[in-house]
Amino acid sequence: MKCPRCDSENTRTMVKSPVGDVWEVYVCEVCWYSWRSTENPVVLPKFKLTEESIAALGVIPPIPPLDV
Amino acid sequence: MAKVYKDLREFLQTLEEEGQLVRVKEEVNPEPDIGAAGRAASSMPNGPAVLFENIKGYKGSVVTNVHGSWQNHALMMGMPKDTPTKEQFEELNARWDKFPVPPNVVSREEAPCKENVITEDINLFEVLPLYRINEQDGGFFISKASVISGDPDALDDFGRQNVGTYRIQVKDKDRIGIQALPMHDIAVQLAKAERKNEPLPVAIALGNNPLVTFMASTPVGYSQNEYEFVGALQDGVPTDIVRADTAEHLFVPAGAEVVLEGYIIPRVRVVEGPFGEFPGSYSGSRLQCEIQVTRITHRTDPIFENLYLGMPWTEIDYLMALNTSVPLYKQIKESFPEVVAVNAMYTHGIGVIISTKCRYGGYGKGVAMRLLSTPHGMPYSKIVIVVDEFVDPFNLEQVMWALTTRVLPHKDVTMIENAPGMPLDPSSNPAGMTTKLIIDATTPVAPEPNPRAVELLKDPVGTAEWTTIIKGLQAAMDEK
Repeated sequence: MKCPRCDSENTRTMVKSPVGDVWEVYVCEVCWYSWRSTENPVVLPKFKLTEESIAALGVIPPIPPLDV
Repeated sequence: MAKVYKDLREFLQTLEEEGQLVRVKEEVNPEPDIGAAGRAASSMPNGPAVLFENIKGYKGSVVTNVHGSWQNHALMMGMPKDTPTKEQFEELNARWDKFPVPPNVVSREEAPCKENVITEDINLFEVLPLYRINEQDGGFFISKASVISGDPDALDDFGRQNVGTYRIQVKDKDRIGIQALPMHDIAVQLAKAERKNEPLPVAIALGNNPLVTFMASTPVGYSQNEYEFVGALQDGVPTDIVRADTAEHLFVPAGAEVVLEGYIIPRVRVVEGPFGEFPGSYSGSRLQCEIQVTRITHRTDPIFENLYLGMPWTEIDYLMALNTSVPLYKQIKESFPEVVAVNAMYTHGIGVIISTKCRYGGYGKGVAMRLLSTPHGMPYSKIVIVVDEFVDPFNLEQVMWALTTRVLPHKDVTMIENAPGMPLDPSSNPAGMTTKLIIDATTPVAPEPNPRAVELLKDPVGTAEWTTIIKGLQAAMDEK
């Protein structure tokens, strides 16, 4: 199963519906996009990610230096 | 004495009695129904809260749009539901001065939020009916949490314990992402912990007394405790809190529906977002902090309180309207008593209108600069309009009058480049940096020359009497 956002195959089932067997939630272990089996996610091109674009994302908040 | 609510349930009961809560009993899908209903309810003039009793695949219920109208906002304060906005502003100002009202610490046995405890196989989906709020969101978000954290250098300093609202993305059954923006209090505490490579303990309270949620999104000073403000806004009635189970320096609202306890994992940032935000656009993905959830306590049959946000106005705009205006007013007023009122209701204070009497020439600009050095105004406020003391800043028709009749652009419009900004403002560039715009729409006072001083029109004598006569005639016509 491919991630709808970064196309990684590194996805898994995060959880099944607590009541009945009516849906599952999947998650991508590369970009942490998650979606429900009852959805039909279409990620807009501007929100697609690649390993390169993930590495270039801004960091909030910045990580401070370690106290020595 | 104003009506005071101990928990969300008491407030929901009042909303229902006042016709400001509707129940959806039929089964709905988590997507897109809950988000769509939140959008719809907040677009209505008297928008009610919407309680979903039956969500496909889940046990519990969800309530949305709890703060999403002026009627609900007035009821939150225990005022009649038709109280005008400006009267609510004035009432908040009056109660604000009762700060601090120390909270009442109850025992664990007395706290409903401790009725059930989960420590093993933690699964947020068992407790919370999680759902996607907007289509392009990166996952299921918790948008209306009150996050409690302490200062690692002063754990016992209750004043520096922070209760704040930060958006939360569910990443796994027991792991969530949190947006800790650098200008918010939690970032100060996180930096202290991360310098030592230590986790920062947090407790996340969901489904609270509406004034707890209100104070959590209010920009008060770093050393001011939000629970002590809740007591003030309850007109002096202390609010009930209880010690968290996993971090004994943290206190949570005793009546919370659900409390997630855990810690921010130090020196780790993971993809968070995108997420549809209050400016009406998506804020893109960034690398942000993650929380490991280690314990859940919750009431029996918990209600998940969450909000829709998007193109203004939505529930969040009602929630952030006066709780942004009042502290900014108080902070400026302390230095400059001539200030009459502050309207920071628009886009979370990115636009602010200040009404003030001008003590001396150039005073309007000075007041604007004070706004731009307050904890919230410095990063958030981009467009500041200053009007005379007789202009109601909540009345945009009057503000437009001031702009059109009191602004000479070459001297009254000032831009300050490369100033602090708010990254969620989609015009800030780079994200978090902006240009400030000050518009002085006050009447010039000495020593500023006013070569074309004019005479303001007054109501003709008898206008008040004629108002009464005309109203009477109109009422008589309506009766026919």
